[in-house]
Formats: sequence, C-alpha cells, structure tokens
Amino acid sequence: MTIAELKQQIKLLKTQLASETISSGLRSKYLGKKGHFNQIAQVLTQIDPTERKQAGILLNQFKTFLENHIANQETSQPEAADWIDLTAPGIKPHVGHLHPISQAMDEITRIFERIGFTRVRYPEVDWDWYVFESLNMPKNHPARDEWETFFIDAPEDQEKGKMVLTTHTSNGQVREMERLDSQPPIRMINIARCYRRQQDATHTQMFHQFEGLVIDKGISLQHLKGTLDYFAQEFYGPGTKSRIRPFHFQFTEPSLEVDFSCHICGGTGQVVTEDGTKQKCKFCKSGWHEVGGAGMVHPNVLKAGGIDPEKYTGFAFGWGVERTYTLKEGMNIDDIRLIYSGDLRFLEQF
Amino acid sequence: MNILIPHDWLLDHLETEASPDDIQRLLSLSGPSVERVEERAGDQVYDIEVTTNRVDSMSVRGIAREATVILQQTNVPAKLKPKPAESIEIKPSIDPPLPLPKITNHPQLNKRTMCVILTNIKRNPTPEWMAHRLQQIEMNVHDAAIDITNYVTHELGHPCHAFDYDKVMEQGGEIIITEAAAGEKFTTLDGESFITVGGEVVFKNPAGDIIDLPSIKGTANTSVNDQTTNILLLMESIDAQKVRFASMTHAIRTVAAQLMEKKVDPYLAEDVLKRATQLYQEICAAQIGSPVYDDFPQLSQAAKITLTTHKINAYLGLDLPKNQINHILTDLGCEVAWPDDQTLTVTPPTYRADLALAVDVIEELARIYGYHNLPSKLMATPIPTDRPTEMRFEIEHRVKEMLADLGWQELYTYSMVSADLATQSGYPLTDHLKLANPLTDDRVYLRRSLVPSLLEVMDQHSDKKQLALFELAHVYHPQTSKLPKQELHLTLVCNLPYRKLRGEIEALLSRFFVDQITINQTSNLVADLLIGNDSGTNLVGTIKILPQSRIAVEINFSKLLPHLKTHPHYQPISKGEALKEDLTFQLPPKTAVGKVIDIIISLHPKITSVELKDTYQHNMTFEITFNDPQRSLSSTEVQPIRQKIIDTITQKFQAKLIGSL
Repeated sequence: MTIAELKQQIKLLKTQLASETISSGLRSKYLGKKGHFNQIAQVLTQIDPTERKQAGILLNQFKTFLENHIANQETSQPEAADWIDLTAPGIKPHVGHLHPISQAMDEITRIFERIGFTRVRYPEVDWDWYVFESLNMPKNHPARDEWETFFIDAPEDQEKGKMVLTTHTSNGQVREMERLDSQPPIRMINIARCYRRQQDATHTQMFHQFEGLVIDKGISLQHLKGTLDYFAQEFYGPGTKSRIRPFHFQFTEPSLEVDFSCHICGGTGQVVTEDGTKQKCKFCKSGWHEVGGAGMVHPNVLKAGGIDPEKYTGFAFGWGVERTYTLKEGMNIDDIRLIYSGDLRFLEQF
Repeated sequence: MNILIPHDWLLDHLETEASPDDIQRLLSLSGPSVERVEERAGDQVYDIEVTTNRVDSMSVRGIAREATVILQQTNVPAKLKPKPAESIEIKPSIDPPLPLPKITNHPQLNKRTMCVILTNIKRNPTPEWMAHRLQQIEMNVHDAAIDITNYVTHELGHPCHAFDYDKVMEQGGEIIITEAAAGEKFTTLDGESFITVGGEVVFKNPAGDIIDLPSIKGTANTSVNDQTTNILLLMESIDAQKVRFASMTHAIRTVAAQLMEKKVDPYLAEDVLKRATQLYQEICAAQIGSPVYDDFPQLSQAAKITLTTHKINAYLGLDLPKNQINHILTDLGCEVAWPDDQTLTVTPPTYRADLALAVDVIEELARIYGYHNLPSKLMATPIPTDRPTEMRFEIEHRVKEMLADLGWQELYTYSMVSADLATQSGYPLTDHLKLANPLTDDRVYLRRSLVPSLLEVMDQHSDKKQLALFELAHVYHPQTSKLPKQELHLTLVCNLPYRKLRGEIEALLSRFFVDQITINQTSNLVADLLIGNDSGTNLVGTIKILPQSRIAVEINFSKLLPHLKTHPHYQPISKGEALKEDLTFQLPPKTAVGKVIDIIISLHPKITSVELKDTYQHNMTFEITFNDPQRSLSSTEVQPIRQKIIDTITQKFQAKLIGSL
C-alpha cells in the first residue's frame, strides 16, 4: 500500500463518520479492538519502510481526530435524546465593557488614520507657551477668558511661562511642528484629556478633545470641508452633512464653527408627527448640531512652529469627544457628568 | 458675547423684505451666528452671538451693516438706511452758552474725548416705543434722561455717559483723566463702594476725588439723579487693556466695559453724540448748552493691507474673479486699490480694527463668498510617514478590549484628586502637583496612582460580589523646574480570588506573546510583576493585597509596552506525543507553591510545563508534562526524572509524596 492509498482510506472513513447520526456504539465501531482504525493500522507493515514514518504520523493524527470527534458526539448528544429544551435560558459569560470614551477615541482614530493622519499624544500638563502664547494669544489677551484655565502651583518657566492643565488639545499644534522639525507634510490627530474650571450638566472639569492639524503646500478651505464631510459620514453614517460658519479664534484665520446635520430631522429642523403635522425638531438647532471649532492655521501659529506661512498653509479643528460622541443616534445623555462618575449602571450599557 | 436685536429696530437701519427666518439663516452662514429668533412683546427678536473680534457688530447698526452685505450677496434686495440724526447740526441754542468743564487728557490713556452740554432737560418718562425696545433687549426702564444713553449705546455700539453737569461744575469744573493710585475710594452710581488697586483709568476733580470710572460705570458724585436738569453728555475712548484691567479687577462687567475693552471705533463717538442729542431734544425738550467739545489728537490712520490673488486663491482653492473681490470688499466698507494685476491693497474702514493681516481680508472674502459655496475635497498631498515610535495606540486599545472581554470594566476617573485620595497613593501630599485655583475640594492634586480613584469606585458599588475594574491613564510625578513626568499606568482593582486575577493577567499577557512572567513576592501581601526577555527581566508593576479581600495591580504601561508583541516566536510542533503525569505532595503551611513549580520546571529540560491541578488542604497535585521534540516518551523513560522531582521537593520543602509510584 502507498501513502496515497492510506490517505484515501482515511478520507473515506472520515466521510463515513461524518454521516453517522447516532452517537452510541461509535467508539467500539471505530476505535474498538476490531474497529476501523485498527483495521487500517494493520497496513503499516505493508508500507514501504522509507514511508513508514510518515504513515505513522498520519495514523496518529487520524486517531486523535477520531478520539476528539467521538468524544464530542458522546457529550453533545446524550444517549437516546430525542428532545432538548432549546428554550432554556443561556448561561452568559461575564464580560466587561470598554468605557464609552475609549470606544469613541478608537473609532475617531481609525477614521482619521484611513486618510493618512498620524495619531500623537502630548503633555496634559503643559506650559502656557504651547497652550496659549504660541497660539497667537499674548499674555492678558481677552480671548484667554474663554478658557477657564487651571494653573499649577509651580514656578514659572522663564521662556515658556506658567504651568497649566491643558484647556484644549491645541497645545499639540506647535509641539507637532517641533517634532517634525518644522517640515511639513503634517497630518496629525491628537486625542487627549483636557481640563477647564467649570462644572454643570454639560461641562465636567475633565473632558476629552480631538485635534486635527494638516499643513502642506496648497492646503485650502476645500480640504477642510472635505475632511469634515468625510468624518461626518464615517462617524454618524451615510447622508450626514457638515457645515462651516464664520467664527473667531485667535489661532485660526479664517475661523469657523462646525455643524453636523441632525439625524432625527435630516437637517431640516422639522419633524412630521404621527398626525401628519410638522413640528420643530427638539433634538437640534434648526437642523444642525454645533460640534466645535476649526479654521485655517493662523500665520503667527505657523511661525511659532518654525514654518513659513508664505510657503505653507494648513487647517486645524478641535472638538470635544464627549459632545461628538453623544450626538450619535440614540445617545441622549442629559448629564455629561455621568461619563466620569464611575456609575456602573451607566457604564455597563456601553 | 450675545446681543438681542428686535427685528423692528433692525428695520430702522435696514431696508429689506427678507423674513426673520431668512435673515437668521443667511446671517448665520456668512456672518454672526443668530442662535434664536424669539417672539417678544409682539415682535421677532434675534439673539445673536457676536465674536470678540467683531465689536463693530455689537449694535443694531452694526448688524444692519453686516446684514446688508450678506443679503445683497445672496441676491436678496437690501439697503442700509442713512445713519439716524446724521444731518443734524449741533450748535448752542442758548445765549450765552454754558461753560464746558476744563478737560485735561492723558493721550496714552484716552484717544478721544467728545462732549456737549444739554440743558433744561425735562424729566419725562421714557416714551412707550423706547421702553418697549429696552424691555425686548432685557434692559431696565428708568426715565428718558437716563434711558437715552442705554438706547443709543445699543443702537450704535459706542458707550456714552450722562454726567450731572451741575455736580461737575460744583466740584471745580474740571475733569482730569489719569490713572488711580492704590487705595483710592470711589462709589458707583448704584451705591457700591470700591478701593482702587492702582492703574485704573479714572476721571478726577481738581481736589483729587474720583468722579467717574470711564467706559465702565459712573460714580455717585457726578451721575444723574432725580434733580438733574443739565447733562454733560460725554464719550471717551479709554485704552482697551486699561478698561479690561479695571473692569476685571473690580468685577464690574458692564456693557460699556465689554465694548470698550474690545477696541470700539472712536469715530463712532460722533454718531452717538448726534443721535443722543436728537433724542434729548425730541423727548426731553433739551436745549444745546454748548458747542461740541472734541479732543481727538491722533486721528487713527487705518493701515493698508497688501495681499496677492495667489494667496486668496491658495486659501479658497479657486480663482476668485477680480471684480468679485472688489465687490465684496467695497461692500464691507474697504477701499481697494490694485498696484498690479496680482496685488491689491485694502484699507479697511475705521470700525474694522480687526482687519490687519492678509488672512483677515481672505476671511472676509471667503465668508461673504459663502463657505457653503466652496467645493469639498480631500487632500491629494503626500501622507506623512514620520510617526512617533514610542506610542502604540492600537496595542493600548487591544489591551483594553481584551480586559473587557475577560470581564473587566473600564473606568475613566479624574486626574485631579482630593488631599485624602492623594495621600492614599503612598506619596506624601507635598510630593504632588497642586492646582493653584481648584474649583472643588475633591479635585486639587494631580494623582500619582490610579489605585485610590479605582477603590473609590469600588466603594460606590460595595454591594457587588465580584467587581473587576481597570483604567489606563497618566499619573504625574513632579520634577524640579520641568513639566511633570507623565507615566501611563494600567491599573486593575478587584475583589476576585487571587488565582483568578493572576490567571487573567497571564491570559492578557499571553495574548501579546509575553512568555516569561515572574511574580516575585517581596512581603506577606506584596509582589513585584516582572517580565522577562532575552536581556533579562524588567520590573513592570506591583501586586498588592488590600483589606476587604481587594487586590490592586499597578502596571507601568510604558515599561510593559516594549514586551508586547504582535506575533509569537514560532516553535516547531513536537514530533512525538507529550506525556502527562500527576504527582501529589503534602506541603507544610505557607509553602510558596510558585517556587515549587519553578523548581520542578528547572530540574530537567524535558519538563515543559507544570500545572497546579488540584489542592486539598495541604495536598497539592501537579500535572507534569514531559516532552521531547523528536519523539514520544514512555513512562519508564521518565522514571529517573520523576524520581529527581520527588527527591528534590521532599527535601527542599519538607514535603511528603502522597500515594506511591
């Protein structure tokens, strides 16, 4: 007998075994003293000595297969069982949950990585220079009022100023330019904890932002719009639109506010009720949700990062992870403080 | 900063047929954001957010000006009406005129002073139309002599103040504009007293008393009261930073202060003077008691901005025709000149001090052209490949996912903790970074361990029998004259049985192909977690048994990360079958079973694994796997190894073999 013939026999027996419907008696039929296995194992002596070792391995594997398969049949089909209660409740394994912020951050990361963004991480305790001054906000500038800043009780740095908790992820802008030795192209996504001195149903002292920064030759407002539209569709689903409106930030010019269309009313601001009348959508502001700021990087910020604003242009955006995530369909979280409460009744829903 | 504008008042300045809804939509797309249109007292009222750089839009007139340009751009007919009272001439209507106070200015503190005396004021009630509008914009109604100043400020966007002329004259007839020293007292018109800190710009009389906090609030000693019949109507233009400093220092955040600190156009003073005078004449039968006083030494010259069409097109991503550029900019009140075909110079109007750079002009072009009219496309430029190598966000996420799948709940707790929680970290309170201005007592120190925060959550759920919690977050170790060292920690806290916890950590690590894990017990309830590689073992964390059967595992994630792999080191599959045998020993109390296992494994290379299969009182059954990569082993072959195990364990640990061979 040849190896090929042996393989053929094993294959036949496997097919035969697969078609068996009753588990009782299988063991003796296949593995018993006069069972199928022993019968074909006898051929070992007829095999060419040079091939005998290989045949032995094949037979060993086949025996293990038979052992496992028959053992499975015996346990899963109690003898003579003709009825199993398939309505009995399942026994669930205990599984934990990723925090909603982790889930959001992962999704955001993957969306931007698909279009060539590099995720980075920068200090959460940083110098005033990176958080404000390099972002075109000189000391005592009224624009700083908008950030309720936490200061650290530590000596000031002579060049970089006070030590603060980062009020936004924008401290990553000049840091990223420095990391790349002021050499574009830059496509950064920076997701991090941020801190502001405020606390109510829509604000927590700690929160998360994600910051995008793109710098290269010929980057225009159209690329910003393209990136926003792409994100809206990927994150909220097909058909979601983005919209930009004028705003003001010190570190972008032009500065913009970004809205995404409401999934409840489809961006119309109106919903049709059961009796056919039109009503104002209660979920949004006239069809749109404000998510955060964006703009073309201010020339002074490029200069602070050592990049020539006459050669390069860029855009940036920065939004709250919590706000962006809770605008997803069905996520009407009315008190954002729950996210950091450690309340398992909340967390175990995610 | 938000401003309320009644539609009806807007139409005093803007001629259009556009509906409030259309105005809301179009203005929001290209100009200030109209957050709401609400019906108030029979008229639609806009609630508009004006950004801090656009103080020129903080008035009815300013919004009308913006609306005109924006509506016209979208082909909605709109026209800006002439300024109210533009054509009136202000000349004394009594003979002889009253003497103006002497005004001593300090040009570094104040750019312009403009005033006029209005005499024989009738203290008439505020007319209904004006009261109605003031109520719509949530302002208090007093009487006309007072309300006219608030009305005009809202309408035209420049603060003005009505002094009691007689009070000023009684106090020496002089206004000295100067900086206050520290410790000077003043009382505002609503009766609140303050002490200066020094550096506030104030008006003083010759005796040195403060008689006004200009551009912020009037003082009681010179402001209008019930007896006032002669008014000195005065507009000044105090340095923005100085106003901001005084207003913030004393927390007097009036509309006037919020306008002036954003650099209101001093040219508006004239419009305000005319409009207010007109209203005093019409409503209070005022007579003009003096010529206009106007001290405006440095006529501010608007700087020209030079930019190229190349730059405009780079930002917009399209070629904006020259005539459209001209059209938009002149509509906005700019003067445009073209030194050559690709270069333009733009002179903004005086009220647009925010326009200073080429990009500021580009923003105007883009928003009026309409952001919504720009195409949307993704970048076609090269994708950067220079990534930070020390960060592996994907691995971080997979670690979290694996833990969650194993039954662990992920938490995000605050980076700032209370003094109590900070101390529980084991580091003294003084070795923590502290917030200089905490908001609440429970968030003051930057934490150095995640364990206390996670235990706090365990306490919240003390009813749960099996709790397994984890967090991946930074801790902050202070460093002298440097930013703190931010260390990423993976911390687990649970009330699971120890062996279950350890097994899950091992399962987690084996998912990332970490094979050498050592638990080095350093005291009764503490052990080090070490990970081995070819160059030795590294301490990556600690395990602590805590009261109430809780266990905490703290792992320094950045030290662990280099050991986490994405693929295994493949071992050829053994050609023979492994041989498994059980051995049971009775071990004395407090024998470290981990050591027993380590020693058995070390006895012979053919011993490939030792599992603790069963324990009963002090009897422990070990399942020992013998393996030879080349062939199957028989029971008789391993006899000498088996004997060596028995001899070593019985001697080393005073153990007793249970059963016989």
